[in-house]
Amino acid sequence: MNLYKIDDQRIINLSNHIYDYLSPNKIYIPIKKRMTFKKNTYIYKNTYYDEYLTSISGTISGYKKILLQKKYLPALEITNDFKENMASKLKTKKITNREELIRALKDNHFNSIVEKLLAQEHFTNLIISSIDEEKYNVRELTILKEYYEEIIETIELLQKILKVSSTLIVAKNTSSESIKKVKSILGTYPSIEFVLTADKYLLSYPDFLCEYLNIFPNDTLILKTSEVYDLYLALIKKRCLDTLIVALTGDALKKSKIIRTKVGVSLEELVNNYGEFITNDYEIYLNGYLKGWKVNKIEDIIMTPDIDTVVFNVKKDVEEEKCINCGACLKVCPMHINVKLCYLKNVGNSKCLGCGLCSYICPAKLSLKEIVMSEENASKND
Amino acid sequence: MQAKTIKNLVVTNLLILIPFVLYGIFKNGYLLYEHHLINFWLIFKPLYLVIIAFLVKLMGDLFSYHKFKIDYNLLCLILVALIMPYNINLLVFFMSLIILYPLSNLVNRYGNINKVCLIYLVIILINSIFTNFTYESLLESSHTFSFTYFDLLLGRSVGGISSTCILASLIIYPYLTFSIYYKKEIPLTINITYLGLMFIYYLVTQNSASLLNSDLIFASILICPLPEYSPTNRLGKIIYGVIIGFLAFLIAIFFNSTISIYLATLVTSLLLNFLIWGENQHKKLAKRA
Repeated sequence: MNLYKIDDQRIINLSNHIYDYLSPNKIYIPIKKRMTFKKNTYIYKNTYYDEYLTSISGTISGYKKILLQKKYLPALEITNDFKENMASKLKTKKITNREELIRALKDNHFNSIVEKLLAQEHFTNLIISSIDEEKYNVRELTILKEYYEEIIETIELLQKILKVSSTLIVAKNTSSESIKKVKSILGTYPSIEFVLTADKYLLSYPDFLCEYLNIFPNDTLILKTSEVYDLYLALIKKRCLDTLIVALTGDALKKSKIIRTKVGVSLEELVNNYGEFITNDYEIYLNGYLKGWKVNKIEDIIMTPDIDTVVFNVKKDVEEEKCINCGACLKVCPMHINVKLCYLKNVGNSKCLGCGLCSYICPAKLSLKEIVMSEENASKND
Repeated sequence: MQAKTIKNLVVTNLLILIPFVLYGIFKNGYLLYEHHLINFWLIFKPLYLVIIAFLVKLMGDLFSYHKFKIDYNLLCLILVALIMPYNINLLVFFMSLIILYPLSNLVNRYGNINKVCLIYLVIILINSIFTNFTYESLLESSHTFSFTYFDLLLGRSVGGISSTCILASLIIYPYLTFSIYYKKEIPLTINITYLGLMFIYYLVTQNSASLLNSDLIFASILICPLPEYSPTNRLGKIIYGVIIGFLAFLIAIFFNSTISIYLATLVTSLLLNFLIWGENQHKKLAKRA
């Protein structure tokens, strides 16, 4: 296993405080094509798009095309009436056993956790990962620091239901104030062990983390801190998951911000309220600089649960050049994919994790990740 | 791990070459001047060759891209300047580069042929045909020396104008291996193969003349691993190095030890291109069938 420390030379001013922006002026709900709606129709419940709930009540004020999971979709623009008429609290019972937990998770769209629970009958280890992969972000660690009581309450519930024998909270050993605080808090909970890892890339991937910690991955349940906080809201507080926590970061911003906001709010509105830019010549990456993808227009992006980070980086005048055959992409690929061959043949590979190390290391600055990751081309290669 | 651009990589390599140029000025400039064999201005001949290489690159870029680009072509041309024999005429070198640089670019459109070796060998061939060409400097041809192995390590052997310092080559190799972009397996396999075979040859014949080949060490570290002309996967790099080492040994024994590495690299890169071409043809035929 080769884990690398990424030495990115950009200077980012990180924030370890979570701001609330829970009353947006507008939100957007994706709709299917050919659906018709009357303007000024009152909406308080989303019946058009299954993936997330309408997080505000208000009237339809317009229509817009938005970028959702790399695809353009039509969306309704809803203007907030600030009356908070929303779908009421979830009617989830108190969870006492594994079956009830799985049912509750299914109801709240925690599909990935449900898959993990269904795949394995018993877990020996529960790992809560507060690892923020890129230096652009301290989102997971900040969530742990700000909501540690809620997270510990959820961990205790999971420990009881899943009957795990050891629980670890894992964070990167970076010199931050948050680590010191979290360390002092967790010191009072004997059932939870706090483990610091080296500042290496790829540790947010379960398999690599287990290998690093010398833990057998098959009987280990790994959850992110943000997931645990969402579980708290859904299972203990019994609230609809209509909020999300997003980090606005990058060297184009004076200071990065971590914001709790409503699902469906536009990035433009968030930036207008929280983004202080050093320069207007920036490029936007969703979900990280290395792992994420580049988007062109800020107006097209709305905040959905699959977006956790928006990186605003100062544009650098680096042009794509011809491949020089250096082979660095092959050396760094954790899945040992022949990236150069994929690039030359323009085919993807289904094994690709999307870590972005190949694109990052490429001296010719080729967009290798996009080619290797592309699902359409992956079938050609397979 | 830090991401670098092509420009960064080339600049790093160019900085690495500075000690070689300085040693070239000392060995093929200052020492000759001290023995009153050349005038003051010829002390800096290695530097003039580098400047000529730079000028040819500048002219080529201005002609084709309208702006100067720091890329691997610049490094290749400067490497050609460093491995030139002392007796090369500056004007001949300039004219040869002016013609051979665009030609080598043209050749590389059809396959990755090691540009440094190609240009070097053509210049050597032209010089061998038209002039009384020798690899020795004026000092080396006018004296008889008895070098120890330490002298050879310091770079007092016959070879390129700025490529003979084995010690400098051995110092920069560990530094280069830290870079993720450097193909460290290639120099290692070339030298192991060459030295292994040479040692066996020495045991059999008691002839150790080509055992310490300064140009081979310099080229194996800086020319053979040039990214564009060498394989990328580990096994490919090892096979590539072994073939070069083996061919260099054969050429050094039966032909000439100074050009052995350049000829071996050129032949191997031609062989590699031929294999790729053959594979493509095979695939095309299989598709048609």
